[in-house]
Amino acid sequence: MSSSSPSRLSLRQSVAMVWRTLRSMRTALILLLMLAAASVVGSLIPQIPNSPERAAQFLDTHPLLGEFYRRAGLFDVFGSWWFTLITVLLFVSLVACLVPRTRAAWRSLRARPIQAREIDAFRHYEEREVGLAPADAIEVARRTLRRRRFRVARDPERPSLAAEKGALRETGSLMFHWAFILLLVGVVYGKGTGYSGFALVVEGDTWIDAQANYDGQIRTGRFFDGEFTGIGVHLNEFESAFRETGQPMDFVSRVDLLAPDGTPIRPQDIRVNHPAKIEGITIYQSSFGWAPVIRIADGDRVLFDDAVPFSRQEAPEGVPDLAMPWRGVVKLPTLRPQVAIDLELWPDSRAFFEQLQTGEPVAMLVSYEPLMRYVVYEGKLTDPSPVSLDVRSMDETANGIVFAGTEADLATGKLLEDGDTPEGPTLGFTDLKQYSVFQVAKDRGVPIVLVAAILILVGLLPALYSSRRKVWVRAEPSEGGSLLQVGGFALQRKAQFEEEFARLVDALARAEGAGSDDTEREEVGTR
Amino acid sequence: MTTLQWARLSNDAFNVALFAYLGAMVGYFAYLAFGRDGIWKLARAVAFVGLTANLVSIVARGFAAHRVPWGNMYEYSSLLALLVVAGYLVIVEGVYKQRALGGFALMFSVLTMAVAVSFLYVGPGPLVPALNSYWIKIHVQAAIWGSSLFALGGIATILYLVQDRRERSRIDALRAEDPAPIMGGAIDMDAPVDLVGDASDEPALAEGSGRRGVLPPAATLDRIAYRIIAFAFPIWTFAVIAGAIWAQEAWGRYWGWDPKETWSFITWTIFAGYLHARATSGWRGRKAAVIALVGFVALLITYYAVNLWIVGLHSYAK
Repeated sequence: MSSSSPSRLSLRQSVAMVWRTLRSMRTALILLLMLAAASVVGSLIPQIPNSPERAAQFLDTHPLLGEFYRRAGLFDVFGSWWFTLITVLLFVSLVACLVPRTRAAWRSLRARPIQAREIDAFRHYEEREVGLAPADAIEVARRTLRRRRFRVARDPERPSLAAEKGALRETGSLMFHWAFILLLVGVVYGKGTGYSGFALVVEGDTWIDAQANYDGQIRTGRFFDGEFTGIGVHLNEFESAFRETGQPMDFVSRVDLLAPDGTPIRPQDIRVNHPAKIEGITIYQSSFGWAPVIRIADGDRVLFDDAVPFSRQEAPEGVPDLAMPWRGVVKLPTLRPQVAIDLELWPDSRAFFEQLQTGEPVAMLVSYEPLMRYVVYEGKLTDPSPVSLDVRSMDETANGIVFAGTEADLATGKLLEDGDTPEGPTLGFTDLKQYSVFQVAKDRGVPIVLVAAILILVGLLPALYSSRRKVWVRAEPSEGGSLLQVGGFALQRKAQFEEEFARLVDALARAEGAGSDDTEREEVGTR
Repeated sequence: MTTLQWARLSNDAFNVALFAYLGAMVGYFAYLAFGRDGIWKLARAVAFVGLTANLVSIVARGFAAHRVPWGNMYEYSSLLALLVVAGYLVIVEGVYKQRALGGFALMFSVLTMAVAVSFLYVGPGPLVPALNSYWIKIHVQAAIWGSSLFALGGIATILYLVQDRRERSRIDALRAEDPAPIMGGAIDMDAPVDLVGDASDEPALAEGSGRRGVLPPAATLDRIAYRIIAFAFPIWTFAVIAGAIWAQEAWGRYWGWDPKETWSFITWTIFAGYLHARATSGWRGRKAAVIALVGFVALLITYYAVNLWIVGLHSYAK
């Protein structure tokens, strides 16, 4: 180094050094293994995007460790800055490897095979006497090799040629690696310009694809233009079928797809594994549940009349999910004092009574004379959420049971019979509907990702299984015609080449019209 | 035949296969110990009996359940055991003419089936809706074929590491006996050491090397492991891609870092690392083999742990 302080590298030198490091296979290999290690962490710690409840639960039970995880981004490994950093570095390293390799491959594809000086110095070498003159012998050899898909170059000065085969190996390997860049482009483009979210539709209702209509969070890409399709999904009916064991057999949402102006486009059945595709969005069956229609009236004044989607309560260990009742909340913020009703739905009342008698949980596969238990609270509503209820500033005033098609008095908690006059507002359980939850997603990158995946696979096969082979043939004049010298080697799959080389020499000799192998064969052997 | 009879036949054939594999395993280990050709022939015949019974069990299971017989962990395990034994007989004994791996391959299948019948058994029945897709035929098949080959490759890798260690200690012993000349060592530790005849990159795989009941040379085992893993890798790649296509159809996204997806990616990444390591100076040999071994462990986690202990979208495939 000519610099006065030899320990300091110039900027140019440092950049060159970083570049060299990135280009080395060792770096790529270490980054690849780091990616694997990071993924292991991501699979062991509950991830917020996959299971937010479990992540929250972990934070509750391990506050200190949880806080550390949260700061280190361990609850969202695959969205963390350091996972992105490893990925980006890996891709930079990949490109740094690929650019010079591609250039070299391009050059060698266009270059003619290089002539050799000493043919008998190669790993495989054989000689044969043939009847043709040297120039003719080489011409025949050229044609034979061409037929076997070798690229052949004749030596302009001597009756000699050089041949090569197996450029597909490097081409395939390059295709495999470049396809990952395409994959990245497809992923970033698709996620960046798309969106995905959940749509909850009660039987008989229509859901419109618009930002405000999504249930919970909607994930929009960074480059999403904000244009939702306005497509309507009218849910005619949801059907679920179970086996007696409680194993689900089929879920189907029978829907009508509507154009933004409300005109029907087509009816469709949406099932698991059978999404609906329309206007660039895809609608998947995600989950389902019960939505009782609840009517609350005070005399002739209707305070509330709507289907309320209930959510299933989490099953404790050993209890089947289907045995759990469903929970929902109705809030009446306009009343003074404010009123909230906490409801528990048993779609199959037989299960309710049986559990009451025996204590054993029973799976509810169908709806059968459904009932709801309820608790009425009065006071001040502090929790604005439509699905949860905070009763810390409220008092329980009544509780009771209401069956489908009946009404209850909210003041006393008693079921109303014909002719009864209620003391307060009434709670009616008019109907029991089902609701269906769809995942709606727009991802325009999918075709790109698919093409990339196909290229990865197609490139992989020659990259692993084909091999580069080089062969040289020379014809020296001799008494009977010429002495054909054949040399060659393979860069990969060398054991197979030994046989291939022997067959090739036989084929050359046959094409040259050599005498029978036994009489003229002069085995020189393999080096 | 009725559904119940098919189910019974499947279970009986499963037990026959398990015990035949167990017997064949003992036979192969006996062959390894005593090196008698007769023992090998007998062990091989018993392995073929097991293979046939295993196949019968799988086919009968399909008739009993009225669907493809690979819809849950028990069925995967049966198919995996079948493919490992078949893969061993066809690839290792057929192509590479090696018999020393037999006991280990059979041991893998015996353990797989024993775990399946003890902990994972479920009666034949229809699939949950999420699995009801023609992709189950493609994705699951590819995953099991890939797994079985990776498993064989993993077994060869373990034996390579064992044999390599043995050969190295033999070199050390030779060194101790015969002091090195003044300049450098008598044997260069970094160069491939020719102790067992042909230690070129493609050692003689045919005649002789598999005859006696000892492990083949490390270089041969390394080569076999590499070949099998290079065969498995594109199949695994295809399985992951097919899984992504199915996930796109079923769950609305081709990739979501679900534990099964994550672990199949980890397995893929590690074996990709292994293939690259073999082409990287300073990583060939033991280091690359250790990566393959880690890949084998990742495969087992992908196969068992994710379905049984880690909650995710693949949990239904218990």
